[in-house]
Amino acid sequence: MEIIISNSNGIPIYEQIKNQLKNKILNNELKEGELLPSIRSLARDLKCSVITTKNAYEELEKEGFVITVPAKGIYVATINKDLVKERQLTKIEELLKEVLILAKTCDIKQKDIIEILEILSKEDIND
Amino acid sequence: MIGLIKKDLAMIKGNFKFLAIFIILYFILGLMGKMDISFILPFMSVIIMISTFSYDNYNKWDAYVITLPNGRKNSVKSKYVATILLVLILTIVTVLLSFIIAYCRYHILDYEEILSLTTGSIFGTLLVLSFMYPIIYKFGVEKARIVICSLVFGIVILGSLIIKYIDLTGIIKILNLMQNYWIIVILLFAILLVYASYRLSLKIYLKKEF
Amino acid sequence: MTNALEIKNVNKKYSDFELRNVKFTLPKGMIMGLIGSNGAGKTTIIKSILNIINYTGNIKIFDLDIKEKEDEIKEEIGVVLDDMFFPEILTPNDIDNSMKYIFKNWDSKLFNSYLTKFSLNINNPIKTFSKGMRKKLEIATALSHHPKLLILDEPTSGLDPVVRSEILDIFRDFIQNDECSILFSTHITTDLEKIADYITFINDGQIVFTKTCDELLNQYGIVKCMEKEFQKIDKKDYLKYQKNKYDYEILIENKKDFKKKYSIEVIDKITLDDLMVLMIKGEK
Repeated sequence: MEIIISNSNGIPIYEQIKNQLKNKILNNELKEGELLPSIRSLARDLKCSVITTKNAYEELEKEGFVITVPAKGIYVATINKDLVKERQLTKIEELLKEVLILAKTCDIKQKDIIEILEILSKEDIND
Repeated sequence: MIGLIKKDLAMIKGNFKFLAIFIILYFILGLMGKMDISFILPFMSVIIMISTFSYDNYNKWDAYVITLPNGRKNSVKSKYVATILLVLILTIVTVLLSFIIAYCRYHILDYEEILSLTTGSIFGTLLVLSFMYPIIYKFGVEKARIVICSLVFGIVILGSLIIKYIDLTGIIKILNLMQNYWIIVILLFAILLVYASYRLSLKIYLKKEF
Repeated sequence: MTNALEIKNVNKKYSDFELRNVKFTLPKGMIMGLIGSNGAGKTTIIKSILNIINYTGNIKIFDLDIKEKEDEIKEEIGVVLDDMFFPEILTPNDIDNSMKYIFKNWDSKLFNSYLTKFSLNINNPIKTFSKGMRKKLEIATALSHHPKLLILDEPTSGLDPVVRSEILDIFRDFIQNDECSILFSTHITTDLEKIADYITFINDGQIVFTKTCDELLNQYGIVKCMEKEFQKIDKKDYLKYQKNKYDYEILIENKKDFKKKYSIEVIDKITLDDLMVLMIKGEK
């Protein structure tokens, strides 16, 4: 498993850990029921504090991606991927709505927005 | 406590070479009958042990020793035990050498004289130790050196005055009456003195800050 | 046991300096960094915890009162003090031989493995060691009786980055056991950013705060702006500010909340160094 932490991109480290683990779970790179590294060993290997990894796991557990089995460890939870996807979709919808509202206020055309989106996603791929 | 004694002994092991040379010198001088310095060996153990206080102080060991289990108490105890151990070992060496010297020179063994000389030197050494250590714990080694110098000077002057002006025949008579028991009495007194000194040092050290 | 260390209302008075009502708690299994400028009282706090100096107040280690169970507690603590403390004529071997009889749990094998790791010769007197080598020996000694709490005063000062990172790795290994905790004071705050769970900031003998390192680094920020903008900021929305020649630097407690309220462009991530400087030198 690979996790890359950046100290300069402005995103809190616990969030970076959380997002990357979440991605791996959604991509099936981490499978259901798989044992994850302990809070302490993950902190050691990522060279961050214990509280940081603890926060990351706690948030993942809140969102239902992992479960802690006392005295045993942290496992990848059984998740309904469709449900997760659905949730993400509604979130995207909400964000796009905001974009549209913003566009309306200064008279930006829908066409321009789609263009921006295309440019952005190309940049993303090149990244 | 054993650990701290080992540490002190490790610190002074460099002195053992000089001590060996000293013992040989003492032996040769004794054989030649030049002088009697039987007190010198036990006394040297105190001098050597005092150097461990200097090392400790210089390297700020005291603050650290307190962080060890039972650190304060063991620190004081180990200094006393290590010193007494050294005094005893060197006394035994002195006694053995004295016997050999006496045998080589006179072909007789004067137990009584050697025994009284030894007792005297042990008593003197323990006396110095008992006064010195609490002073070191209270004021530090540097100041203690000055204090002890004046103390020794004072004792010498006082002693010579006593011998000069006070009739000691009474005391000598009493000592004679007690025959060889005076050795036991004097040693008991020394032990008591050392113990009192230890309690005093401990009291000082338990309150000290570093 | 939930706390490795609990300090309450600790006071200590010197003629020219005073610790006032020092209070903080280090939960078990965590690493706490003690930061503050020179003479702020870091060493005095550490010396109080270890009973090297007399103080008034209440200090508990492993939920036990240090004044009542001193010897029991000290079996389980590993210590590195600010000043050197091993007599220079001793060798690591002498230390091993002594510590065997001092700590019940002394582990000669572990001690030797640290010496090998730090490439320290066991038979060389300490006086031949450099400053960095001495610190390494002190750390090796502090770790070799399997303590549950490390109390370290400036353990990484004077060491090069490579050695420091080695030592941080050792600390990380040490807290793999969730019974084990570390309290250490340091000026090298970048080390803390990489390892500390909690930061306790002390200034002029008083605790300014104890917070998680994550909270400080993720939420605190430095706003940089011009005087015109600074005038508009509510006094209660910032902790301290510093007026420079060309700009204002403003220490804020929560970047997100601040962004919502004000439209100031430059809000920088904070380092512990920035935080210390602004907290001490900034105005309110």
